[in-house]
Amino acid sequence: MRYESITDAIGGTPLVAIPPEVHGLVGIDLYAKLGMLNPFGSVKDRAAWNMARTRLDDARRDGAAVVELSSGNTAKALAVIAGMHGLPFRSVTNRMKVPEIKDLLLLLGAQIEELPGQTECLDPTDTEEPLTRMYRRLTEEHARFLHTDQYFNPLNRQAHEDATGPEIIADLDGRVPDYFIACVGTAGSSTGVATALRAHGSPQVWGVVADRSDFIPGIRTADELAEVGLFDPEAFDRIDSVTSQEAIDGMLVLNRRCGILAGPTAGAAYFAAVRALREVGPAIEAGDRRTAVFIVCDRVESYMSYVRQRRPEVLQRPARANDLSTLSDAELAGVHSLSVPEAAEWIEREHPVVIDLRGSFAFRALHLAGSVNIVDEVFGELAQGGVPVSPSQSVLLVCPVGEQSLRYAALLRRLGHRDARSLAGGVVAWRDAGRPMVSA
Amino acid sequence: MPPQPPPSDVPPLTPRLSPSWRSLLADGQLVTTLVAGLGSPLNLVMPDQLLRNADAFVAVHRKFRLGGSVYFAHKANRSTALVRRIAASGVGVDVASTGELQHALGAGVPGARIMATGPKGDDFLWLSATAGAIVNADSADELDRLGRLVVEHRLPPVRVMVRMAGFSSVGFTVLTRPSRFGVGPAELDEALDVLDRRREQLVLHGLAFHLDTTALNEKALAVEGCLLAMEQCRARGHAPTAVDVGGGFGVAYLADPEQWHTYAHALTASVLGQQAPITWAGYGYGLKAERGAVRGTLGVYPSHRDKAGPGYLEALLESEGPGLRRPLATILLESLVDLHIEPGRALLDQVGVTLAAVREVRAGADGRLCVWLDANRHDVSAEEHGVLVDPLLLRADPLRVSEPVSAYLLGNLCLENDLITRRAVHLPSVPRPGDLPAFANTGGYFMDFAATDALMQPRAATVAVRSAGDGWRWCLDAEYWPEGGDR
Repeated sequence: MRYESITDAIGGTPLVAIPPEVHGLVGIDLYAKLGMLNPFGSVKDRAAWNMARTRLDDARRDGAAVVELSSGNTAKALAVIAGMHGLPFRSVTNRMKVPEIKDLLLLLGAQIEELPGQTECLDPTDTEEPLTRMYRRLTEEHARFLHTDQYFNPLNRQAHEDATGPEIIADLDGRVPDYFIACVGTAGSSTGVATALRAHGSPQVWGVVADRSDFIPGIRTADELAEVGLFDPEAFDRIDSVTSQEAIDGMLVLNRRCGILAGPTAGAAYFAAVRALREVGPAIEAGDRRTAVFIVCDRVESYMSYVRQRRPEVLQRPARANDLSTLSDAELAGVHSLSVPEAAEWIEREHPVVIDLRGSFAFRALHLAGSVNIVDEVFGELAQGGVPVSPSQSVLLVCPVGEQSLRYAALLRRLGHRDARSLAGGVVAWRDAGRPMVSA
Repeated sequence: MPPQPPPSDVPPLTPRLSPSWRSLLADGQLVTTLVAGLGSPLNLVMPDQLLRNADAFVAVHRKFRLGGSVYFAHKANRSTALVRRIAASGVGVDVASTGELQHALGAGVPGARIMATGPKGDDFLWLSATAGAIVNADSADELDRLGRLVVEHRLPPVRVMVRMAGFSSVGFTVLTRPSRFGVGPAELDEALDVLDRRREQLVLHGLAFHLDTTALNEKALAVEGCLLAMEQCRARGHAPTAVDVGGGFGVAYLADPEQWHTYAHALTASVLGQQAPITWAGYGYGLKAERGAVRGTLGVYPSHRDKAGPGYLEALLESEGPGLRRPLATILLESLVDLHIEPGRALLDQVGVTLAAVREVRAGADGRLCVWLDANRHDVSAEEHGVLVDPLLLRADPLRVSEPVSAYLLGNLCLENDLITRRAVHLPSVPRPGDLPAFANTGGYFMDFAATDALMQPRAATVAVRSAGDGWRWCLDAEYWPEGGDR
């Protein structure tokens, strides 16, 4: 298919059936609406484009910057759209919780502003909390901002009412699904699609939120919903909460069994959908069939650190042969550890290579004269391949307190080095003994 | 007849309370006698708990092998007993006025263990210098004034720290509230000029900051900012050895975090008009309804915190320096930099309780109870600091029970705004005159920080308590000594 602009490729995303042997539901056909296949990678592309497109020319004329309170997919889509139109994009956020998204935003040229945290010494008379101040700055008379305001902007919901919803009906051959399940973030896609579906039938609309004090990217907790201007409790027949662990469970099913490389947000929607549909399944009469649709918000690739943090076993790699963790007590006990006077005397007499394993900042400030700086991480990496020092060259390893140097000396010995010693007590002991140090 | 109020529809916010306080407050006779003899309101402090808290911070230092000291931020409580207890330990004191400095010295804290912070007149500077305290300076001018005083009075060299502010972020913008204190990175050279000129009088001990924020990333940026600035200091021949990260480690006030979420939910519903208001005249604590949605930010202290006190310090030290990309603890350790901390609130966690007597109970306009206490909002200033927690209710007649009720707590000042709580609190039963609401964990900032003599109402007396195996010993705050001062 040929397009004149990438933005023309937004929408028209597939509706894909989840195999019955995977979801295990009786009498229900479950479909995934793949918002993740939009060109910038998420269901938000449509809303971002809808909120920005009519105002881009004015913004360019005024030299305005696109601004949004987002740390996720909306920011990503707006960063691309702003970039395509020669506008700067600024993402204001309380906290960037997903490091990969933050990196991607910076890569796309976005400016990120993190709002200050809450004050520790609270002043209740200060009504100027940072968010209010920011909103005021954005709405000042001559402010040059294109503020898309996704939590309150009706164009967010409209995008899904006009397009995402009708697409679902069209792909179901004109039928309205019996159940529609969507995660609630800005409430744009969930309420927008719900409105479209209800115009042609009477589906059950289920919202999915994150469990209290848990975090699922792009989803609110039940308590946070009240802060969302577009959220209308009347639009939902029920609201279920999902934990991050359940979201990852759902995500892994989509990834491994369905070939849908969706992220944890979609995992939450899938998990909540199957859990709730399992309740209604038995009530369906034999021969009768129901249809359910959930939204796949975005892709899995950006959430590796999220998974690593919450489900490390999924990503665990076996320890490498020469990892420090593989050292035995006997190997550690075999290391020649030198006290500060012994080390000073040895340096004087034998001129070993002194390798300082501390960070370069610390090394720059103060170190033993004549020493070489190989930061612990780098040294560990080098040691995976073998001894990074000639085996006959005697080595004194130095670290802050003598713990790491002991381990690395043991490792060098294991790898066949003949005389690697460790400075007991490290540079701290060296300093405390009043021995001289120099700076770079 | 006392009013028969409807049962409470306000979710409870039950305070965290240590077993020691539970045991003490369960001793009805002791508590009643104290209030009968010393009046309402009455502050109780437990000096030994302060040291246990300090030990928990020291354990964090030890875990990361870091050197440096804990300085108790005196401003959070003016009790003499607490400072005397500190004097008999290895903990230091952070003083922010001449009065506090005198108080610490009088309590027996060695001058070398004192850190002088905040705005300083010449009197404060002179006494700090004479006592051998570290002066944590706010500006180049202050350093210069200090240097001049050292010359004039022929004092030995004074250890100084330079307080910094306005750290610039790397990669992306980390916004921080502007501070009235400290020198920006651009002004550091000016401070170093003074230190260059005053090498005979001033010794640069290190760099400091104190940010009023709960956000770890802002503080991580500041720690790194100080470390980088130390390089600048070294380049000019100074040898700073410490970074002072100030305080602000926080306290978790609630026993059950779930209660906080439930309460926040109810407050939002109340602001949106989805339920009867649970606050005085619909007060929103910063939230307001706008077309069915909530705008604004809840302007209260997060009464539940996942990370508070030593746990917060640990998290800060484990976080990475944004530019140097190593954990802060590692950078500090390997750079041979000591870490000073100045906790106030966190060191006073579970150190104090304030008692206030119920004088009168009546029905309010909205049907909830109005409970008039013999104390005012400056005596129990948790609300003023945005901390929302229910009091315990020590009943004069423990056998009398009723359904839980909700009540506004009103103060003893003849002023409309003297509300001890602007929200209805949840009480386990209908209070009666003579009952003693006990406000838990008031030691940090809520006890005497804001107390006034307004309307000539008496201030609270303070009593120091100590566990003595078979029960509790107490004495007036001013009569407490670590040794031989017991009753």
